[in-house]
This record gives sequence, structure tokens and C-alpha cells, in this order.
Amino acid sequence: MRVLDIRKLRVQYHTEQGECRALEEMDLHVEEGEITGLVGESGSGKSTAMLAVMGLLKENASVQSERITVCGEPAVPGVNIAMVFQNPQSCLNPSVKIGRQITETVRARRHCGRREARERALELLDMTGIGNAKMRMRQYPFELSGGMLQRVVIAIALACEPRVIIADEPTTALDAAVQAQILRLLRGIVEETGTALLLVSHDLGVTASLCRRVYVMRRGRIVESGSVEDIFYDPGEEYTKQLLDSVKKKRKLSEGTKEESLLLVENLTKEFDTRDGVKGVTLELHEGELFALAGESGSGKTTLARILTGILKEDSGSILYRGEPLSRKGRAGGRIQMVFQDPYGSLNPCLTAGQALDEALRAAGSPEERTDREKRRERIRNMMERVGLTEEDMDKYPSEFSGGQRQRIGIARALIVRPEILICDEALSSLDAVTQQQILDLLLDIQKEQQIACLFISHDMHVIRRISSRMGVMYGGRLVETGRTREVCSDPWHPYTKLLLESSLEADPLRARRIRSLPAGKQDNGGRGMRDKGCPFAGECGYAMKCCTEEEPETYRFGERAVSCFLYSEEHSGRRSRDYIMTSQI
Amino acid sequence: MLRYTLKRILTGILALFVLACVTFFLVRLMPGSPFQTGSVSEQVVEAVEREYGLDRPLDEQFLTYMGNLLRGDLGVSYEDPGVKVTEIIGRTWGITASLGVPALIVAILAGTAFGIVRAVSKNQGVREVISAVGMILAGIPGFAAAILLLLIFSVQLKWFPASGLLSPAHYVLPVISLAIYPAAVIMRLTGNALETEMEKDYVLFDRAKGLGRKRIIFTHALKNAWRPVLNYIGPASAYLLTGSFVVESIFTIPGIGREFVNSITNRDYTLIMGLTIFMGAVVIAVNLITDLLGAWLDPAVRRSYQEETG
Repeated sequence: MRVLDIRKLRVQYHTEQGECRALEEMDLHVEEGEITGLVGESGSGKSTAMLAVMGLLKENASVQSERITVCGEPAVPGVNIAMVFQNPQSCLNPSVKIGRQITETVRARRHCGRREARERALELLDMTGIGNAKMRMRQYPFELSGGMLQRVVIAIALACEPRVIIADEPTTALDAAVQAQILRLLRGIVEETGTALLLVSHDLGVTASLCRRVYVMRRGRIVESGSVEDIFYDPGEEYTKQLLDSVKKKRKLSEGTKEESLLLVENLTKEFDTRDGVKGVTLELHEGELFALAGESGSGKTTLARILTGILKEDSGSILYRGEPLSRKGRAGGRIQMVFQDPYGSLNPCLTAGQALDEALRAAGSPEERTDREKRRERIRNMMERVGLTEEDMDKYPSEFSGGQRQRIGIARALIVRPEILICDEALSSLDAVTQQQILDLLLDIQKEQQIACLFISHDMHVIRRISSRMGVMYGGRLVETGRTREVCSDPWHPYTKLLLESSLEADPLRARRIRSLPAGKQDNGGRGMRDKGCPFAGECGYAMKCCTEEEPETYRFGERAVSCFLYSEEHSGRRSRDYIMTSQI
Repeated sequence: MLRYTLKRILTGILALFVLACVTFFLVRLMPGSPFQTGSVSEQVVEAVEREYGLDRPLDEQFLTYMGNLLRGDLGVSYEDPGVKVTEIIGRTWGITASLGVPALIVAILAGTAFGIVRAVSKNQGVREVISAVGMILAGIPGFAAAILLLLIFSVQLKWFPASGLLSPAHYVLPVISLAIYPAAVIMRLTGNALETEMEKDYVLFDRAKGLGRKRIIFTHALKNAWRPVLNYIGPASAYLLTGSFVVESIFTIPGIGREFVNSITNRDYTLIMGLTIFMGAVVIAVNLITDLLGAWLDPAVRRSYQEETG
């Protein structure tokens, strides 16, 4: 039986520039108890379609359809259809307690008393696997982590007792390990309650892991649909192939030309009150190589990047540049440049692209360029062309560019002062798959061509595996493992690296269906603070020993691999003879 | 929270001290002497000034005044030597408060109500009219509004009495003329804040949850939209005090405002200073209370306080 049935759905926006067609004749259905996927790049009209189905579009949109029904009846949000949004932080009212936000939904649906609603809310929270539901009810959204909030949002969607739930990018804002938990939860809910699920995502791995059937969407149209195996293994449409290729394509790695150390970071420490600090990080960046840094949000990746660029000052530790100490001032001089995560927030909306580049040149360009206006213009023109923009784009403001184009400007701004080290801090994570691929190609081409050393920070293990020659994994402010990317990815030594690799999903239905993650709820207990003694991962580690919570592991080096875990300590392994070759202990 | 409260109280006291200093010297800068009225001879003026200590050096006068101020003694009125400044304040503040507090309440109620309508009404005409009227009302100076109301409703229509404060009907016009401006400002603040809130994701999610529009507005969006209004109450109370100068003069009401205007024309040094310090204290106290209230109403701040005290 078709639970959700959409036929010939069309959406038009009335804007000042006239009519704008967002969606044309969309046909889509979801069967009972089925998880159906909808994939497509951002701007393809996925969210518009879903909001239209829910009747939540703004007044300037007109929606026409032959039918939008749930089990033969018109769709009524909160009654037979519910939705889970992308960002749980902004979906919950910051000044209303969690409990209230759930009970009011229960009461609106069941018209029942407070007590019954409260019991039902507790039941729902337990169902989503949130620990300590009673306490959570009394908390405000700011007191919960992103993963817990998404569980609350799912509990609220379930409170509507819907026949079908639309999940619009439910895990995009979450870390890989948490993402896996939420996906398992969603799958469990479908199996347990028989609710159908329509999963909207730009992430092919997520789609492959859960869905049975998939629709591929582009520019307001469904271009292809079918079973997940058909679409992923034998795509018919050119666009679908392109989407899949963008995830699978292997890059020829650019190895460091010389094994010469360009930047040597030793024992770098910066502590904050809460989290996000770094502690005792030692890192070596070779000339011309691409070093990737992985880890969940809050693990200190960004803090490290900011210290290296001189935005933040370290508490202790040293940074050597070509063997010489580098003061904070020296870092700011243009030798180290950064491409930021958010292409929207990192460009001044009041400066045109040309002005932004000009400013960078005047601050850190060569002496001639600082004084000669014409020289600067010439250089900007070349740079714009190099990053795939035109000369006319120089006079446009950031608001006139798309996300991908803005990130090109961000790259141009970093490269225009001829840095020797480029730091990309999650530079791709706010872009969709196809744009990600384009920007990645651009970055790698330039990196290779100019032999710039690059520190590439990302939470996406697929990207890291494809592009980097060496990599490091951060957790709780420490660098827990470093080594050759190929080796680390195929044979992780540190338990956290293993978890990270297992919870990253591949765009391959047969493999991705085995979503592995920590037991649900364990991760969400807040982790351990920076100031706790012992290994930061000890609380969640399946291999934790007594010593793990008492003292901090040193970094143990085995050739190119360095790992900070007691499993590799001399006392623990106890059998390190001179010619013993260390292997993974997990 | 506790530290924040203490810090705010200390800065409040500091502000009051600065205010007292500034008024003391500003008053002394005014040309003329309180006892110089045409028919009095130089010798008499000098004799009286000596008696009041006005012939002493300025720094000595200042120290004496500040010393008395610490003991809560604001001195006696120069104009009417039998009466203490504190007595005058005691007599008049209740009258001014009986206008100001209702005016503030009216302004908050009317402003919030119209603000909500302006933000969420589906009828574009209604929204535009409220915005336009609000803009006009915010632009009319207080004294013009008071005179206009007086002319229309008491002189022409004879609905309300024109002067004094004998019956509740006497309060209507002065309260309205005081409330107009803050009401218009609060309307704009609520309207804008609510419009922004209604665009947020949680409102969209509330709709997806199947909540009614009224519920979303009153239990969700308003909970986040009150903040600018609360912050405005401090400045509004200052406006109401200065507004009372004009309104009390026009409607001949014997409150603090009229006393203040008179004290200036009479160069009644001690009374000017006493009233200024009193009003300053009121404004500073209101700001302090609203700030603390705002912090307390913020769940994040409240939680951190609860953790502090266990």
C-alpha cells in the first residue's frame, strides 16, 4: 500500500524578478514500512518539495498537485505526517524545556491530560535511546549535545503518531559516530512501529545504508528512480553517474617531494574552560605534501588550525618553520593561509570579490604589490581565472555568488599571497557532493602545481582517504594516531580511529547497510573533559584498561606510525624485541 | 549570577556618585544666585550666602554636601527654608509614580498587543496601518501630544477634566500622553522581534508538529521575543520621568516634574540636586532590576546560577 503518494507536484515561487519554477511535476510514493531515499545536490528542490508536502512553504510559493495523500487521506502535519529537520539545535525552542516541547505535541495529537502526555513523552524518549529520560525532560536544549537533540526531535516526530516521517538531512549536522547512531535509530523505528520513512539526503552513503528505493533529483525534477541496488550499481542517468563518481573517484596522491620538514609542531597546548582545546600535539608537515587531520567536532582540529595561522596564541609548545622558531607574528605574515569552513560567514558582505583579494594582497603581498595598484589588479585577475571565476566576477558582492563560487573566492584569497602552507578547515563540508568534488579538484590541482604543503582538516574519511598521503586523527584535543593514510585507513591501530572508519558510510548499499557504531547512548554521555586524567577516549573505548583512566598514554612511535594508546606501550605489549614488528592490537 | 549582581549594584552606585558630582558642579555653573531677587541689597545677599555656606570654596561645599548625602540628608530648600528636600520628594514622588507606573503598564500592554498584531496579522492592510500609526505616534513630541489631547478631549469634547488629580477620570489624559511614545516604541520592538522569531526553524518545526498558530505565537515565539522589550523598560522609565516635567506642567499636577521645573527657575540648588539624584537613583534602579530580570529569565544564565549554589 502506498502510504505517501505524491502526484504531479509543482511549486512556483513568486519573486520580484517574476515567477520562478522550483519544482516540476514530481511523482513520488513511499510504501508501507519502507525507507525511501531522495538524493540530489543542494538547490535541486528536495527541501522545497518536502515543505510543500507538509504545507509549510511561505506565502510567496504556490503549490499545485494532482494529489498529496497519506493512506488515501490528505496530508495533515502532526497527524498523519511528521518531519525531522536538518539542524536539531535550531529546531527546538531554546527557552522551552524539552519535556514541554514533547508533551505539547502529544497533547495536540491525543487531546489528553498532562499526566498521560508526560508518561507518553517519557516512553518516546526511552524509545529514542536517550539516557536518563526523566532528567532530560527538565532540561533546556542548550544543555544537550547535537546527537541527543536529534533524538528529541525524532521523539517529537513520533509523538505525532504519523504514518510517514520525512527526515530532511537528519544527520548532516552531526559527527560521523553520532550519525551512525541516529541512522540505526531511524531504521529501528521503522522496523518497530511500521512507520514509513522518506529520507532526504545529499549524502549517498547515508542513503545507501538505509533505503530500499531511491529517487534522484536534479533541478526540480526526478531524473531517476528505482531500487537502491539498481541506482547505485547500475545508474541509468548521466547525472546519477556523476554523483556516484564524485564520491568514488580516486585521486593520484601527491606525495611530498622531499621528506624535508617544513613545519614542525611540538607539544602544542592550548586549554579552554570547556572543550575544543588542544593538548600536547606534535605534528610534522613535509614540504609539498597533503596532510589530513580527522576527528569529530570539538576535538580541537579548528583550534590547532587557528594556532598555526596565528589567530589564537598557544599556551605552551613550539612551532618550528624550516627549523627555526616561528613567532605568532611571523605566522600571520602570509606564509600560512587558511580556507575557512563557512563560505557565507567568512567573506565580508560589504566588499566585492576583487576588494577582498586586494585587501589580502595589501596586507601580505610582495613589497611591489603592496604599493602598486596596477600590479595588484593584474595578480587578482590571474587568480580569479585560476580558481575558475571570470574578470567580471571581481566587482560582484558575496551575496551574488553560490556557495561553491564563494569557496573559490576563499581559496583565491588564501592563495593570492603565495603561501607555503595552506590550511583548509572543513573547506568542503558545507557544500554538496558535486560542488565538493569541483572544489576539491581545484584545490588539489593548485596544490600540486604550486607544491604548497596543505593541512587538510575534515571529518569526512572518504575525502581524506582519497586525497591525502599522510593523516592524523584527533580526539579530545590530542593527536591519537598519525601515519600513512593508506595504512591508517586499512589497518587502524587506535580504537577511536577504528570507530571513526567504521562509522563512515560508503555509497555502496551492500557495505553501507552494516552500519556500525558505538552502542547507542554511550557516546552521548558527554565524553570526558579535557581536564580529566587519563586517556580522553577511555570512557567510550571497548579496550579500556585500568591504566587508561588513571594516566595518560604517551605517544608510541613505530616507523611512520605514531599512536597514543596503552595497547601499544611497552608494559602492555611486553614483547618488543629489537626486530618485533608492531601490528594492530585491536 | 551572584557576582554579576554584585558587580551591577556597584556600578549602579558608582553611576549615582558620578551623577551627584556632575549635577553639583553644573548647578554651580548656572549664572546668578538663589538669593538674588531684584529688591534685595548686596549686603543682604552676602549675609544670607554666608549663612548657607555659599561663600566657602567650592571644594569645601562639595565635601560637605557629599558627606550629608551619605547620611541621606539632601539639605533644606533654599526657596522655602522650613522644608527639607527629602520632605518635598516624599510628598511628590507618589503622585508622579501614580502617573508613571500606569503609563508604563499601558505602554507595555498596548505596545505588545499591537506589536503582535503587526507581526502576525495575515491582513497586509492591518500590518501597514499599525506600522504607519506607530511611526507617527513615535514622532510626536510629548508636549504636543499632551496639548493636543487636552484640546480635543477636555476643551472641545469635555469628556475628561483638564487639571488636577481628583478622580480616576483625571488620570486618563496625563497617563495616555505619557504612554504614547513608549507604547509606539514597544510596538516596534515586539513587532520586529516577533517577526524574526516567526522566521526561525523552531517555528517551522512547531508547525510540522501540528501545533496551532496561536500556540506557536504565545507559548513559543513570544518567549523569545520579550527580551528587547524588557531591555527598553529602563530607558522608558527615564523617558517617563522627563516626560512628567511637561505633562505635570500642562495638566497642573503637583508631582516631582513640576517641582523640578520650579526649582530650576528659582535656582534652588539643594532642591535641583536632590531631585536629580532621586530621579537618577530611580532610573539606575529600574535598569538594574530589568537587567537582572533579563539574566534570570534566560535559562542558560539561570542554570549556571543554580549550579553555582548547588
